[in-house]
Order: sequence, then structure tokens, then C-alpha cells
Amino acid sequence: MSTFKIYFAREWQLMFRNTGALIQPLVFFIIIALLFPFSLPAESNLLQQIGGGIIWVSAVLATLLSLESMFHADYQDGTLEQTLIHHRSLTLAMLGKVMAHWTATGLVLSLISPVLCVTFNIPADQIWVLFVGLLLGTPSLTLIGAIGAALTVTLRRGGVLIAVIILPLYIPVLIFGAGMLTQSYQGLEVTSQIYALAAIFAMSLTLAPLAISASLRATIK
Amino acid sequence: MNRDITNDDRSKLLTLENLSCTQGENLLFQGLDLCLRSGECLHLRGPNGSGKTSLLRIVCGLMSSDSGKVLWQGRPATSDTEFATQCFYLAHKDALKSELSAIENLRFIQALEGNIDEDALDDALDKMRLLSCADLPVQALSFGQRRRLAFAKLLVIERRLWILDEPFTGIDKEGKVLIEQLCIDHLEKLGSILLTHHQKLDSTPLKAYLQEYDILKASK
Repeated sequence: MSTFKIYFAREWQLMFRNTGALIQPLVFFIIIALLFPFSLPAESNLLQQIGGGIIWVSAVLATLLSLESMFHADYQDGTLEQTLIHHRSLTLAMLGKVMAHWTATGLVLSLISPVLCVTFNIPADQIWVLFVGLLLGTPSLTLIGAIGAALTVTLRRGGVLIAVIILPLYIPVLIFGAGMLTQSYQGLEVTSQIYALAAIFAMSLTLAPLAISASLRATIK
Repeated sequence: MNRDITNDDRSKLLTLENLSCTQGENLLFQGLDLCLRSGECLHLRGPNGSGKTSLLRIVCGLMSSDSGKVLWQGRPATSDTEFATQCFYLAHKDALKSELSAIENLRFIQALEGNIDEDALDDALDKMRLLSCADLPVQALSFGQRRRLAFAKLLVIERRLWILDEPFTGIDKEGKVLIEQLCIDHLEKLGSILLTHHQKLDSTPLKAYLQEYDILKASK
């Protein structure tokens, strides 16, 4: 079996043994997004206009919340060290792990997002724009975020530091993702944004695993 | 004559040359030279904080030394060379996933080696007297049982060099006998062991194979 598959399968197995941690970011995502319709005036079409952006920001925050635990347990129980000295490729192993992590956070977030769109009264033809954007954007968020998680793995409370390191790097994804919605709200084409998000995804898919393994080797001494 | 030389070279599995390590401002050790042949067991001794674990981590490539070289059969040992496929490091931390069962932990180790053999997993658990708790999650096992499970990993994969950090800590008499027998079997098959223990290992059957190496005395 390939290194990617072994680590992907193992991460899945581990995540479903620990369902509490699995559900946390999803519940967080839904609650954050739902707070806005309650706190903003409902009569104007304000919600409709900003709903997509709010869902995007909630997705970013939920991803961020899930990052801290990504490598920490492995570091604590010594399995990360074993992965570092193993003859199998650390880069591919980490890619498998991070992508498994994405299926449990980013992918599920994207799948729930159409339901949330209803609470913002977002028109049906824009729901797919948001959905496609999240589907293309969240893997980049997880991959880039994992670099921050790898850099802070040895720190006891690295959560805030991850946010400081990673949130600025999320801005391009956020601009294109949320920009897509504004464009489509004005009746414009969104193809260029889709291409941009796909390009960011391709770049993070190829470069982030290298950065993750380099960060892990540098931090674990 | 010629045969002797080649045998001698090949039997020198691990060589450390002039190894030094500092931690912060503290010099842990300096100028360590060490050689481990196949079929040998080297017992690193030294008080707490003398750099035993650091030395093991340098050998594995988890830490870098300040100077000196780690050689595997005469060539530099790094994680992308043959060395990584020939050595296994058993650290203080057991590197077991507490959510997974004993057998699932072993199965993962075996999958990474590329071969899946369920019988070998059962055999390994049986040898370490853990067969009755094969399907229990590791978090339900006692400390000693977890330690034995960590040793069962050595049975499912074949590595020539075992690097064991304090292997006898927290283990009962029965477990100690099991582990010693495991080590002796490995040495009989011309494997090598590098282990640390803070005390003298006098009263064990392993003694016949042991070579002691005192870090403090060897450090120049």
C-alpha cells in the first residue's frame, strides 16, 4: 500500500474513534454562521448580501479551530517522532494525514453550507457558487493551516500563534472565495475566481506537504 | 586474511566518530567514539542528564550533533539511506495510539513495512503475553502491558539495529524476562542492540552479551 493511503486510512480510523473532536469544528461552524441572522436587521436584504462572506469567515474560523489538534496528539504519544525517522516519505505521509483531516472538516463544512444559505435567504443560483467555492477553497485552508500547526506542534498553547501565523495567509483564498459571491450577486461571471481558487489549491497541494514536513523536522529536536 | 577484513568491515554495523552534543549552554558529551558490531549489545550508562537519550536521538537522526559522524556500515546514516530501513528506535514514549486496539497498532506498523501477515501479529502478541487483550484499546492497558506491546512491534518488523531507551523501566519481573529473551533471540540472529539503562545490568541472562559504555568516562 502507498504511504499516502496508509496514513489516510489511519487518520480516518483515529478520527472516528474520537468523534467528540470530529464534531466540534462543525458545530462551531454552524453556530458562528447562525449568530449573524439573529444579530442583524432582517427586513432589508443585508443578510442576503453579506451571507456568503459570513459563511466563508465561519469556515475559516472552524478550520482554524480544528488545526491545533492535528499534530498535537501524535507529538504527545511519540508516533510523530517515529514517522520522522521512518524510511517512508514524511511528505506523502503528512499529505495523507492532512487530506483525511480535510474530509472530516472542510468537505463536511462545504456540504452543510447550502443549508446555512437558506437562513441567509441566499438565492438558489448563488448557493452552488458558494458550494463550489468552499469545495475548492477549504482544502487549501487545511493544507496551508497544517504548516502553522506543524510549526507550533511543540508549544503547549499554540492555538493563538497558529491564528497569527496562518490567518494572513488565508486572505487570498478568502478574497477569491467571497469575491465570487459578490460577483455573482451582481450578475457577473465567476470563472476567473474559480480558476484562481483552483490555482491556489494546486499550489498548496504540491508545496504545503513539503513545507509541513520541513517544519516538523525543524521543530522536533 | 582477505576474508577477515571484509567480515570485519561488514560486522561493524554502527560507528560513531568524535560525537559531541551541547544542550543550551551545557556540554553533554564530547568526542565520543563508539562501535557496534552485529550480534553485540551495547549498554550506555550514565547518570540522569548525562546525555544518554540525546545520544540515541542523534543516532536516529532526530537530533543533530554539534560535531562528529554517525556511520552505518561505513556510510553516513541518514533517514533516506539504508540505515532508516535497518534501525528501530523504541523511545520513552511508546508511540502507540491509545484509541486503537493493540492489534490495530501492530497492524499499522506492519502495513508501513509493506507486508500484511495477520498470523505474525497474533504470534507477536502471544509471545508478549498480550493475546487476551488484542482487541482492547490501548488506553485500557496498564503501563507494563503498553510497554510490552511496544516491544511486540519489534517482533512484527525485521530490523537489524534496535535502539532501546530505558527498556526495563516500569516493567514487572515477568515482563523483564520476556524482553530479555527477546533481546537475546535478536542478538543470536546477529542483530545489534543499543540500549540505555541507568543501573548496572548484572543479574540478567543478557549479561553474557553486554558491553558497557560509560558516557561520562568516554567523554573527553
